[in-house]
Amino acid sequence: MIQTPDATSLSDKMNVADLDVFYGTFQAIKKGNLRVPDRRVMALIGPSGCGKSTFLRALNRMHDLTPGARVEGKVTLDGTDIYAPTIDPVTVRHRIGMVFQRPNPFPKSIYENVVYGPKIHGEKKAKRLLEIAEKSLRAAALWDEVKDRLNRSALELSGGQQQRLCIARVLAVEPEVILMDEPASALDPIATSKIEDLIGVLKKQYTVVIVTHSMQQAARISDFTTFFLLGELIEVGTTSDIFTRPKDKRTEDYITGRYG
Amino acid sequence: MAQAVLTAITPETLSNSSNARSRRAVDRFATAMLWLAAGAVVGMLVLLIVYLFVKGASAISWNFLVGFPSAANAGGGVGPEIFNSFYILFLTLFFTVPVAVCAGMYLQEYAGPGRFRDLIQFSAESLATVPSIVMGLFGLLIFVQTFHWHFTALGGALTLTLLNLPAMMRVTQEALAGVPGTYREASMGLGATKWQTVVKAILPSAIGPLTTGVVLVSGRIFGETAALIYTAGASVSYGKSAYDLNPFHTAETLAVHIYSIHREGLVPDADAIANGSSLVLLVMVLAFNAVARILGRALTLRLTGKA
Repeated sequence: MIQTPDATSLSDKMNVADLDVFYGTFQAIKKGNLRVPDRRVMALIGPSGCGKSTFLRALNRMHDLTPGARVEGKVTLDGTDIYAPTIDPVTVRHRIGMVFQRPNPFPKSIYENVVYGPKIHGEKKAKRLLEIAEKSLRAAALWDEVKDRLNRSALELSGGQQQRLCIARVLAVEPEVILMDEPASALDPIATSKIEDLIGVLKKQYTVVIVTHSMQQAARISDFTTFFLLGELIEVGTTSDIFTRPKDKRTEDYITGRYG
Repeated sequence: MAQAVLTAITPETLSNSSNARSRRAVDRFATAMLWLAAGAVVGMLVLLIVYLFVKGASAISWNFLVGFPSAANAGGGVGPEIFNSFYILFLTLFFTVPVAVCAGMYLQEYAGPGRFRDLIQFSAESLATVPSIVMGLFGLLIFVQTFHWHFTALGGALTLTLLNLPAMMRVTQEALAGVPGTYREASMGLGATKWQTVVKAILPSAIGPLTTGVVLVSGRIFGETAALIYTAGASVSYGKSAYDLNPFHTAETLAVHIYSIHREGLVPDADAIANGSSLVLLVMVLAFNAVARILGRALTLRLTGKA
């Protein structure tokens, strides 16, 4: 029933079919179905506790790390089921990166943060690592602010800079999909607008799925929007359709402020 | 009537109500008591240091610090004992730290809740409550008698390893538990394996508390006597040098020396030697703590880029 509206013209990067997520006996996601178009921004919106972050974390198997969490259903990346027994979750997370709600740089230098991923994936040459660091920091619009202090601690950066560093750190492993879990919710308005501009640039090369509690943000940055309520995916559509012509009464109530 | 209500609520009348007065008194009394308790701790340490300096300083000389102990004459030194204290400390840490850190890492990062984890926890807690003299007798049975090593530095170090494994393991668990979960998520989210995450993201952030743990355990090792008397022995090996690196030779430590010289020493200056040794031991422990903390801080800075 739920479909991406102009599915005819876009290929799917990811496809979620009948996804259930449980925490113990509590079912946080009920039969979620979603097609994530390639190189577009998909926003997940809904009131607190509706399951949007839970859904996002199912897309790169982060629930594997949560004791008691259980995922059922099918999630494919370029047609391959990422929950298939033969698939290594480590490779899944290599291809599908994640930016978290609170900036979480390691207590290491700026440089060491960016090259953490490439290093664990086996890159050893110092010259190549420096190239990757510069490229990633430039792509995250942070290079000019930090190029003179790459060896300083990442914890000295402001919150907004730290979050862009975390984005650079994800870009450095060259993922295909970037998942963002309310990446600007802990930031001030100026830092937020920098992150939003960055997402607009990133979608040229990456598929972005972003959870946001701000409907204005979803409207500004996303091509498609999915509305969640109580663990169910209520409605999916182009962002303009969702915000101007919602089909479901519950979606309309939410975006007009009558719910939550 | 209205007048009475007004006077009742001025700040002055409020602060002078008997209730407020008694609460303030209790508050002052509690603060004073807490201060006194904290002050007593510092006071006792200062008293101890001053006492040891006064009693022990006169015994200290170059010959005392580097010379061999004497069997029956006055003027013997504690050179080998000082060396043995450090030697056994490093041997013990060499065995304890890797095993304890790996075990603590397993419990904290890998083991899910279950019977096996409970069994390890229970074993560690039981091991931690074994009195050191019992551990010493166990070492005597195993290393000295069964293995026919006799009294050896190695036997002593292994006995101390058993004694200190649980504490060091606990410290490791606590240190790892103190590392924010966001580092784990960040690392795993970048496609790191569990092992890479533990070694490259979590362990470097836990170096500070781990160093503290090593320092605490080291203090106990420096001061241990009961577990060493019957394993490393209460005499030194009289070789060419006071510094005998052979782990299969007998190796009395300074702490054991302080005990044994009183108990079985024939030398006329046993009291002076014991006082001097106590002072040396105290200075050694304080110096070791200081050096370990400086190294720990430097390591943390290096690993976390806070320069």
